Formats: sequence, structure tokens, C-alpha cells
Amino acid sequence: MQKKLVITVSAVALALFGLAGRIYLIQRDNSENYNKIVLSQRQSEYVSQTIPYKRGDIFDRNGNRLAYSEKVYNLIIDPKQMIAAEGDTSSGQAAVYDVVNTTVDAISEYFGADRGEVLAAVEGRPDSSYVRYLREISYDQRQGFLAYCDQKKQEYESSDDPNQQKKRIRGVWFEDEYRRKYPYGALACNVIGFASGDGASGNGGVEQYYNDSLIGTNGREYGYLDDEANLERVIKPAEDGSSLVLTIDSNLQNIVEKYLKEWKDGDIGSLSAACVMLNPKNGEVLAMASTNSFDLNNPRDTGDYTEEELYALGLKEAVGVYRRENPDSPSITEEQVPEHFERAEIISYGTQVAWNRLWRNICVSDTFEPGSTQKIFTVGGAMEEGLISAHTTFNCEGNIKLSDGVHTWQINCVNRNGHGLLDITGGITQSCNVVMMNIAFLEGNETFLKYQHIFGFGDYTGIDLPAEANTTDLVFNAENMGKTSLATNSFGQNYNCTMIQMAAAYASVVNGGYYYEPHVVKQILNSEGAVTEDKTPVLVRETISQSTCNFLKEALFETVETGTGKAAGVEGYHVGGKTGTAQKLPRAAKNYLVSFCGFAPVEDPQVVCYVIVDQPSLPGEAQAHSSFASQIFSKIMAETLPTLNLYPDGMDASEYRAPSAVLPDGGEGDAQTVMGSQAAGTDGTEAETNADGTPVSTEAQTDSAGNPIENATTAAPATDEFIQGDDTSGGELPDELPAGMVSQESSLADEAAAESLAAAQTEASETEETQ
Amino acid sequence: MGVRKAEQQNRAAVAALPGGQQQKKHKPEQRRKVQPLKHGQQVQRVRNTPPAQPVEKKKKAKRFYDFNLLAAVLFITAFGLLMIYSSSQYTAALRYKGDSTYYFRRQLAIAGAGLVVAITASKFDYHLLEKKWIKYPVFWGSIALLIGVIIMGVASHGQARWIRIAGVQFQPTEMAKVGLIIMLASMIAQRGYYINKWKFAWPCIAVAFLPFILVGQANLSSGLIIAGITAVMLFVSCRMWWFFVAGASCAAAALLFTKPLIEKWVLANNITTSTSYQLRRVLAWAMPERFSTDAYQTLQGIYAIGSGGITGQGLGESIQKFGKLPEAQNDMIFSIICEELGLIGALLVIFLFIIIIWRLALIAINAPDLFGSMLCVGVLAHISLQVILNIAVVTNVIPNTGVTLPFVSYGGSAVIFTLGEIGIALSVSNQIRLE
Repeated sequence: MQKKLVITVSAVALALFGLAGRIYLIQRDNSENYNKIVLSQRQSEYVSQTIPYKRGDIFDRNGNRLAYSEKVYNLIIDPKQMIAAEGDTSSGQAAVYDVVNTTVDAISEYFGADRGEVLAAVEGRPDSSYVRYLREISYDQRQGFLAYCDQKKQEYESSDDPNQQKKRIRGVWFEDEYRRKYPYGALACNVIGFASGDGASGNGGVEQYYNDSLIGTNGREYGYLDDEANLERVIKPAEDGSSLVLTIDSNLQNIVEKYLKEWKDGDIGSLSAACVMLNPKNGEVLAMASTNSFDLNNPRDTGDYTEEELYALGLKEAVGVYRRENPDSPSITEEQVPEHFERAEIISYGTQVAWNRLWRNICVSDTFEPGSTQKIFTVGGAMEEGLISAHTTFNCEGNIKLSDGVHTWQINCVNRNGHGLLDITGGITQSCNVVMMNIAFLEGNETFLKYQHIFGFGDYTGIDLPAEANTTDLVFNAENMGKTSLATNSFGQNYNCTMIQMAAAYASVVNGGYYYEPHVVKQILNSEGAVTEDKTPVLVRETISQSTCNFLKEALFETVETGTGKAAGVEGYHVGGKTGTAQKLPRAAKNYLVSFCGFAPVEDPQVVCYVIVDQPSLPGEAQAHSSFASQIFSKIMAETLPTLNLYPDGMDASEYRAPSAVLPDGGEGDAQTVMGSQAAGTDGTEAETNADGTPVSTEAQTDSAGNPIENATTAAPATDEFIQGDDTSGGELPDELPAGMVSQESSLADEAAAESLAAAQTEASETEETQ
Repeated sequence: MGVRKAEQQNRAAVAALPGGQQQKKHKPEQRRKVQPLKHGQQVQRVRNTPPAQPVEKKKKAKRFYDFNLLAAVLFITAFGLLMIYSSSQYTAALRYKGDSTYYFRRQLAIAGAGLVVAITASKFDYHLLEKKWIKYPVFWGSIALLIGVIIMGVASHGQARWIRIAGVQFQPTEMAKVGLIIMLASMIAQRGYYINKWKFAWPCIAVAFLPFILVGQANLSSGLIIAGITAVMLFVSCRMWWFFVAGASCAAAALLFTKPLIEKWVLANNITTSTSYQLRRVLAWAMPERFSTDAYQTLQGIYAIGSGGITGQGLGESIQKFGKLPEAQNDMIFSIICEELGLIGALLVIFLFIIIIWRLALIAINAPDLFGSMLCVGVLAHISLQVILNIAVVTNVIPNTGVTLPFVSYGGSAVIFTLGEIGIALSVSNQIRLE
């Protein structure tokens, strides 16, 4: 027996040593690996919660809050904790606490949720610690629920019923989140843009351009267990984003939007209309608006479009999509689209096009031929170079004939009968094309283009808004500019610019020759409201001398007083400005973009305001009334100036009764053009038709100014082709045009001029014409 | 030598008449006869010392008391308390409103009570256990409780392992183990040499079969321990070798060879899970990474062991105890010991158990009679099996089954009854007379 006992003990000892060996092997082979597993498990075990940053607010220059982020709460359910809190039931013990049912009851009772659904959410993911059950609960609701839980807790604790005493509400907490709000709805929608749902990025406007400033850094809440096994929390607070103070004055913005809307909803209306208002003294944008308006709180609402319209847009888009996706197969037509795409797909494309149209900021992203507003730069440049003086005169005979010995072009003036002898002021006030062409010829290509660039055309203005159009290829350079191009450029045709370029160039003239970078953000504030960055005006360059500026200002004043800009006048104020009526491409379509760029008061300009009306809803040359734009300008200025504490002559603030500004309604989405790199509708169409070789204007072959935005994609496929085609077929110089085309071009030019003239005659005193 | 003697005595007694009454009458006479013979270091019973010479007898009767065993048990119990506090503080704080010492305090109270029971029991003569009015109620009472638990379990549609008596929960399984040890020791002692005859041996197996079935149907591991205790006690007491050696060899072979076979089978049939609870455990044992859901506890235990290294993370520095390792203070406490104290800590614990087992074997060898001897063998078998199975489970040598580590794991009934068994062993040691 002793022997057997010894054997037993030995066997036991052997077994134990064997197990010790096993432990040694586990540790030797896997120590490092298992350590990693253990640590990574620990990391994931601890509830580490992100504290979201608050996206910065956006204020206008007067401190009105245009955009802010409101804290909301998400209700998070922690089924794992709930189930664990019931106590260990694995070995058949009864639950220590009644947690799951109690908590589910509380949630369904307080939030009115379906009990079964809540229970399913808990039981569906019993191992999860994070089930987001309700979103965007307000602060009041959250506080209410917490109070409700406290009240229930007291009820349970004071109850005599043991079943009630076992009840516990556990495993529910609230997660912070921010929701972006735009209290003024559509106000300044193009300038502000809108933030994405999570507040991490922006679409359009300063929300996009200044996204890096607006966003902050997420904070974090770490949990760990101290020596006493208490759950400790370390909070690394979130760094809130910076706020922006815009240069926009929401009062002026209101006024601008009000009159643009009035125009849009008026008897005539137009494809689109837009207005930029600058402070000429520092380049601050005071207002920027277009008839593209949408509610920032609900930017994806395409309510203005019917499904059929979206479908029609989608058809066009789908053609381009098909070409991109199947570059090798032949293109399909719109009729064939339904064979390749589902209807829902087509509508989805259409919706995207509609959104891009809605969101497009006409004022910085669209380019167009400006028309006669260009004329002061032609004059300014020549005067600065000493080529002309205030007293230089030209004789306008109604047209100019250009010949290189082979071809002849005839470019007409507004007044086909000729203005007669005009001095420079007269040339501006009467908007005489012949005078301008003659001045441009005096300047020559080099000088003209030099001043074109001095005034910022063909360059980025550097405005702090996204998707500024690239106009580099939309202006001529010395090599490819022919004489006809120089001629037409002198009165603002055959090159493209943006509204902000034009407004900034005007600002430099009215402020005495200082070209400031236009900008919409005045200050950046940190989350405490302290100024961290002042956007001081950036003087880009000096354009022309003070004396030239004074001369031009006087001429612009005269234009409104006695010339073509009478309709822009504002009673009681000295207003200066220049009209513009540009014939759009294709010339044969007889579509016009009318504009007015003005400033006031002439003695000490406080505001430059540029209004364009794109294609008034009238047939043909009936569109060509710059008074449409001038009248909008006049109305806007009549309200703007008192708002800027500038009162009509002989009045002071107490006498003046300001018309009350009405906040625009949100959601007026009327889109004509497409945002950013999307198709430039107008330009694209122009170019495409032009490529067909049916230009109407005098300088047919060189009207290549309409070189659209480089990366235009969808609707402007022919653009680049057009330019290339133009180059190869005719060369860049009109002089090299084949002889047979000359007469054709000339006759077309005649027709165009005749039609322009007809229009001019109806509103002779107010309208100036190009071609 | 004493054991031999007792066997002979018993053989005579059994031959004369089955029953304890006869023995008692004979033994004092025999002892008196033996005493003058002056066996060298021979240990003797001191029971029924005649009151005629109390002073002389007490002086002479210098009785042994195994302080080594007591010290080792005290040490490991204290160590267990420390580890329970370390491993359970997080879970306790989580479950009991921040009361991180909940498990520790309960275990402290129970271990204290258990030690009082053990020391008190050690001062009583273990022969009391042989009395009909003690051994039968203890054994059959435990059987009755086991049946009661099964009926309760059936009534509540689940497996119940606990029973509540006078507000105290305890596991009848633990009581059944003690009852069986006493019962078997008594029966083997009665049979003496006749245990080698199948005719006399089978009632012992029959008696063990009853708790084995009752316990094993709900808790296979406890059933195996009961079978193991029986096997060891019979192995030590009888002369047969081949049966036990064959049985042990079979078990070892099963452990060695089933694993690759299962792996092959799983891969061949692309088994992903099973409806059978027991089969899932076996699958989880064979391929823990593949059946990681079922092997969760095992894997976490192994991670804990592996991350400990040679010296461990340091006392109280376990990471796995933070909610990752289920039953960290209970069945899986050994893996926390490995994690915090490393291989060194594990070896220390194993060393302590070997000391305890060694001391129990010494007491068994030197016990005054076969009954005392077999009691110690039973306790030895019980503790050895629990320790081996527990560590084997923790290291995934055998499939996961709920076995606690004696003196260390948290658990009221087990602590009380294991310490009670130590008390019995101490009582046997206290009956050893030193000369």
C-alpha cells in the first residue's frame, strides 16, 4: 500500500510538473503575441468616446449670425452593459437586477418609441456597447429623460415590492453631435455655402473655402480603471472651430436679393441675374447674390424641378456619362439613353445637374463677354500711356472697316449713322464703339493686353470663394490677337471675364487706382470670440493714376447724368457707372447679356455695384436693353446708400425713411448654370455653336474669346474642339482668313449690326450697343 | 507497518462478524498487548486510554500534529484570498456598486469559518466519522440533497447546482465528495484484505456509483472527480495493478490522440459548429482558434497565461481581469496567477500543492489504522484531481469544464468542505502517537 501511495503521489507530482511545463511552453512561444492581443483587447474594451468639435459660426460684418452649429444629442444604447448589469446568470442564478426590461420601458415610454423595436435593438446586438437608437434629440428632451430616469430610480428605491426594487435603468447615454443651422435660410447662400451633415466639410462658399478654419479638432473621453477599479475618465476637450466674420452686410445682401428676386419674378425675368457689391476702398464684398437661390438648411431640395425636367437634364448628362465610361464605343444620342440607363439612374444624374445649377455661384464661377463696361479700361490704359488726352477727339462714322489687303471687315457702332465728332468723355457716355476701336488701335495689342491684365482680366482675382473661374484662356495674348480681336475687345466682346473681376477692376478705378483683392471674410475669430486673424485689404497692384481715375469717374458720372446710363440714376445722389450690352454666342441666336457697373457717391465712392442680367426673357434683340440691369442697379442703390448712412442731397438721417428690408424666403431655387467644374451652360453653348462656323459678328474668326473653363465637362464638349478647330482652319489672325469668307462675314456683321441698331433706336438714349 | 497491522486486525474482525461493534471491543485489548512489545517508531492509537493512569498516559502519549500541512494550507488559503481580491476587484466593483472587496470579504469570512471548522475537526478523533450516526447521515444526506437539486433543476427548467439551506447556498456536490470519502474509507477499512476479492470490493464501487451518476449527469467534471477519488482509494487499498494502470494509460492516450483525430475530422467535414453542448466544448478544446466563440474563456485564459511571461505583469497588474476573462476569480484564477506572477508564481502554487499532497501521503502512511489511512488517501485524491484538472483546463490540456482550484478559487461550499477535509486529515495526524 505504501508503494502504491508513493506511486500515486509521484504520478500527481509528475502530472503537475507536466502542466507546469505546458505553462512554460505557452509563455515561451506566445508571450509577445498574447501580450499584444491582451493589450489590444484592453484598448477596445475601454469606452473611449469622441467629443465632437463645434464647427465655427459665420457672422456678417454687423455680427448677425448667418450660420451656427447647434448641439443635439444621440441616444446611445449599451446592450452589453445592460445585460451585464443584470448580474451573472450563467450558472443558473436569477438576475440580480431587472435592467433590460426596465430600461427599454423607460426609453419607449419617454420617447414614445415602439417597445418591441427598442427591445429588438437591445437583443439584436447583445455584445455591442454602442447602438445609436435615436438621433438629434434636443437638449430639453435629453434633460427631460435624465430627470425621468432619476424620478423612476427614486420610485424603485422607495418601493416595498422586491420586484420593483430590482429595477434599474442602465446602459443608456447621450452622445453629443452638432447640427448646422442657417437662420436666414437662403440669404447669401452662394457666399456661405453649406456644411456636410457631420460638419467636417463644406460645399460652396466660405463653408468650403474656409473649411480648415471652421473645423476644429475632436476631443476624446478616455476611460480607465484606477487602483480601486473605479472607472476614471480623462477628458481631452474638443477644440472648437474658428468663426468667420464676413465682409457681407446682410442688410445690403437683403436689398440685393430682394431686387434680384423682384426682377426674376417680374414681367420679364431672365435666364439669370446677379449682383456683386464691393467696397471700393478695400475690396470687401458687401453683397453677392444671384437668382440662383436655395435654402441652406435644405440644399438638396430640387422642389422647383419637376421629375420630367430632372429626367430631361439627366438624359443630357447620361450622354456624357456614357461617353466617359465607354470611351471606345460610339457616342449615344439622348434618344438612346434609356437603352443604357435605368430611369432612376437618369433622374439621379438630372438631380445632380440640378443641384450643381442651384449651388453655382454665378458671380465667381461664370464667365461671359462683359460688353461696354470694358470701355473705361480701354480709355484708362490709353490715357495712362499718354496716347490720348481728355481732349482727343475721334470721328464716328457709324462703323470701322478693317482690311489686311485681302479681307475686309466692317464693325459697326451703336449708332450706325455715326456719333460724329466725339471726345473721350463722349465716347464713354455715348458708348461709342468706333472711338474705343480707334483708341485700341492707338494702343496696339501689347498695350491693350497689358492693361487688360493690369485690371485683372484673365487672372484669378484671388477672392476667397471656391470655384473661381479660370479665365486665362478666355482672353487673348499678344501672339494670337488679331486686329479685329483688338477692335472687338476694346468694347468688351470676344473675351470673357467674371463678375468679380469686373467689379474689382471698377473698384480700382473709382478708388484712385488701387486694385484690392476682393474678399468676403473680414476676420477669423477663435472659439472664444477673440480675433485671431484680421483679413486686411490686400493691395494687389496700382492700376492707373489718380488723374486718369478722376477723369474716368467724371465720365462715368456723365454717363449716368446724360449718357446711356440714365436709367441707373438715383435721385438725390451722384451716381456714376457704365452700361453693358453684350451679344452672346452664338451671335445668330441674338441673345444678350446686359449689365451695369456703377458706384456712388461720385465724390467719395463708398460702394461699387455690378449687376448683370443674362438673357432677359424676351425675343431676340428686345433683350438688348441695358436698362434692365440699370434699373435693378438704381433700385438697389436707392436703398443701399441710406443703409450706409448716405442720405440724399439735402436730407439727413432723421428725415430719411428707410424702406424696410424684407428677409428673403428660403428655398427659391432657380438654377441656370452649373457650379464649379461642371458644364458652363452658356459658354458651352456659345462655343459649340460657334464651332459650327456661324458667327454673326464682324470679326468672325477671331471671336474665339469664348474659350470656356478648362475643365468644363458635361455640356461643353465642343469647347476645346472649337478653339482648336478655329486655330487650324483659319489661324489666329483674321487677316489670314480665306478671301471667300470675308464678304460672308461682312454681310453677317451687317445684319447683326442692323438688328442691334434697331434695338438701340427703341431706347436710343439709354442703350448702347456693340455690334 | 501500522497499516499492515490494522489490516490484519480488520481481517480478523470481518471474518468474525461484519460490523464495527466487534472491532471496538477487540482493539483495546490488542493495543495493550502490542504496547509492551515496544515497536520502535510505531504509531499507535490512543483511543480509549484507560483513565486509571491519566497523568502518565498523557505524558507518554506525545501526539503528532501535522503543522506542516496546516501551515501549507494556511499559506495557500491566504495566497488565494490575495489573488481573489486582485482578480475580482473590477468585477465586484462593477456588479456591486463599486464594492471592489465584495468577493474578497465573502471569501475571507468563508475561509475563516473553514479554518475554524478544520482546526476544530482536527481536535476530534476521526473515528467519530466511522460511527453509523455520522457516516450514514453525511453520505445519504448528500445523496438526498443531490436528488433534491435535480428535482429543483427540473422544476425550474434548468440545471441547478445549488441548494439553499437556512439561507446559506451550497453545492451538495462538495458534500457528496466528503461523504463518499468517509463512506469508502470506512468500507475499505472494514473489508481490509478482502478488498482484493471482487465479492467484497464491488459494494465499494456500487456505493461510489450512486453519487457519480447523480453528480455526473449535470456536472461531468465533478462526476469524474468522484470516480477518480474512488479509483485512487481502491488503487491504494487493493493489490491489483493492471486495471488501474490500463485505465490511466487509456486516459492519457485519449488525451494525446483524440486531438489530432478531431482536427482531421473537423477539417475534412468543414465543421463550423455543433448543436451538442458537450461536442462544442470538445471542438473548442481541440481547435480553440477555429471555434473561438465557444473557446472564448479558454482563449482568454491562455492569453492571460501567455502574457505573464516568466515573472508576470506584477501583483495586481492583470489586464485580463478587467472584464475580459470570465470567472477570473473562480475557475480561471490560475491564469490570473500566471498573468500577474508569471511562471514563478505558477510554480510556487504547484509546489505548495505538492507539499500538501506529500504531507497527506505521509499522514496516510503513518495513520494509526486503515480507516484513517484511507481518509487521507481520499482527501489526497480529491485535492490532487481538482488541482490537476483545474490547471489542465486553464492550459487547455483537457476540454473546458468547471473545476475550481482548491483553497484558491472563490466559492463558499468548496472552500468549507475542502478545509473540512484537511481538518479530517489533521485529525488523523493528531492520532499519530510519537514515541
